[in-house]
Amino acid sequence: MTTDAPTAARVSTAEKASWERIKEPAVYVRLISLVVVIGGWELMGLTGNIDPVTFSYPSAISVAFWDLIASGQMTAAAYESSQILVAGLLIAIPLGIVLGILMGRFRTFEYAVDTYVFALYATPVVALAFPIAMVLGVDFVGKTTIVVFFAIMPIIVNVYHGVRNVDLSLLEVTRSFCSTESQRWRDLIFPSVVPYLVAGLGLACGRALVGMVVAEFLMSISGLGALSQDYIGDLELDKGLAPVVLLMAVGIALTKVVNICETKFSSWRVRQES
Amino acid sequence: MSSSDNGTNPTLRLQGVGKWFGSLHVLDDIDIDVKTQEILTVLGPSGCGKTTLLRIVNGLILCERGEVSFKGELVDGPRPEMAMVFQNFGLFPWKRLDQNIGYALKIQGKEKGEIDRLVSHYTELVGLGGFEANYPAQLSGGMQQRAGLARALAAQPDVLLMDEPFGALDALTRETLQEELLRINEAEPKAMIFITHSIDEALLLGDRVLVMTPRPGRIRFQFETGFGRGRDLEELRGGKRFQALRHYLWEALRNPDEEPEPIPELIAE
Ligand SMILES: Nc1ncnc2c1ncn2[C@@H]1O[C@H](COP(=O)(O)OP(=O)(O)OP(=O)(O)O)[C@@H](O)[C@H]1O
Ligand SMILES: [Mg+2]
Repeated sequence: MTTDAPTAARVSTAEKASWERIKEPAVYVRLISLVVVIGGWELMGLTGNIDPVTFSYPSAISVAFWDLIASGQMTAAAYESSQILVAGLLIAIPLGIVLGILMGRFRTFEYAVDTYVFALYATPVVALAFPIAMVLGVDFVGKTTIVVFFAIMPIIVNVYHGVRNVDLSLLEVTRSFCSTESQRWRDLIFPSVVPYLVAGLGLACGRALVGMVVAEFLMSISGLGALSQDYIGDLELDKGLAPVVLLMAVGIALTKVVNICETKFSSWRVRQES
Repeated sequence: MSSSDNGTNPTLRLQGVGKWFGSLHVLDDIDIDVKTQEILTVLGPSGCGKTTLLRIVNGLILCERGEVSFKGELVDGPRPEMAMVFQNFGLFPWKRLDQNIGYALKIQGKEKGEIDRLVSHYTELVGLGGFEANYPAQLSGGMQQRAGLARALAAQPDVLLMDEPFGALDALTRETLQEELLRINEAEPKAMIFITHSIDEALLLGDRVLVMTPRPGRIRFQFETGFGRGRDLEELRGGKRFQALRHYLWEALRNPDEEPEPIPELIAE
């Protein structure tokens, strides 16, 4: 038989590639940029060029951050916020997947609902906060609903496209081998949707976070949103900005988790990655 | 031809098959019989409707005219007794090689031990032993093509439909698999339709060779090669009859508009 190149050779090339990334200019440029921007900002603060009543600077925010954690305020606020975030995502993810799949697979269902879905997709969700508050109240249910509206759209749209973009020649393979409909979902449709879904989840997490803060600002004030607003109202800008830093960190962490999922679910896409 | 009588009843029968894609007339009046143990090789210019023909036989698409029957039953959809080797391989990118090769068996609900046994047998047979855990993207084009062949063989069909199954292979692998295919056809009688662009391959493998015309695809002519079972490919190649038929096909394909001189060897033997 023919001797094809052993896969070990390819793996080692891939490893080398990821190792060499550290030497890439991108990493340096980012580091230098961070040092310049954060350092410059800090320097402005230290030299008294920032009025602490209207803005703050990194070291002051860091100190405020630890103060808020030490006093337990930050943890309590984060706990409160995370409830509507988690509840919203727990509803948005399964609901978005189901709606996306139904829309992608069944024409009748698609025609019945696509007007609303795409209208909502085009609407800034913030504008929905007041009607939602009217109907569902300004507490947990209303706030969670806002998070759901923020998070669900990219999930629906991505899953829909995933189902739609199923490889037609593979669909024919499943038909040729007399696959049943449920086997077809298992072997073809779900696996084709996964990469789209993961990308959708990444967007959804980011938007859910925005939705959470919007809900906490616009409805009954609570959680990290309340913490931030209270201190800004008291003109303690360093403490007012500390919850924003936490939100930023959570946002970055969520994106990272999704990125890791992305690579984990696509170990079979070796060629596309390189 | 084969001495056993079950080698002579048509397993597949196409009668007056005509196919249009919208206004594009792709196939016209195709009549073909393929016997139980017969290998029919099909030659024809690119785009003449060979893949379309196989898809119709497989029941993947319907024809506007005529009909296809399998053992006397009308083919109106795919059936497990037939397996296709796809021109574009058709492997699932997220399935490992062994899962791809065992795909048809899993669909048929075979038990795991049986699947494992058949998968490892056919994986070895196409020379892919050791690559079971690889994904298609990690395999060369030729390896993917062999995986597609192994998947169809593992299904142990009565009818094997092969769409240029050796097109991406190097000469050596190709020859090994040609011999393997003839051996399989003897061991487990199957009706095979084998599409190829290689005249040599058509003659080496075919009990019968069919040549198609383009736009719309019609049967231009077909003939029995008459090389018989258990043929030795090396010996065949050097033979006078093979050379004569090869020349005949070559002339025919080179001049699509005129029929070449009929050769006495076609009628003799
Ligand atoms: N689904 C389709 N819709 C419209 N036209 C099609 C479709 N499938 C094939 N055709 C057309 O039908 C004709 C025959 O195509 P087919 O794939 O059967 O050719 P082929 O003989 O297999 O060619 P090749 O040797 O290049 O594989 C071509 O002109 C092609 O463009
Ligand atoms: Mg073709």
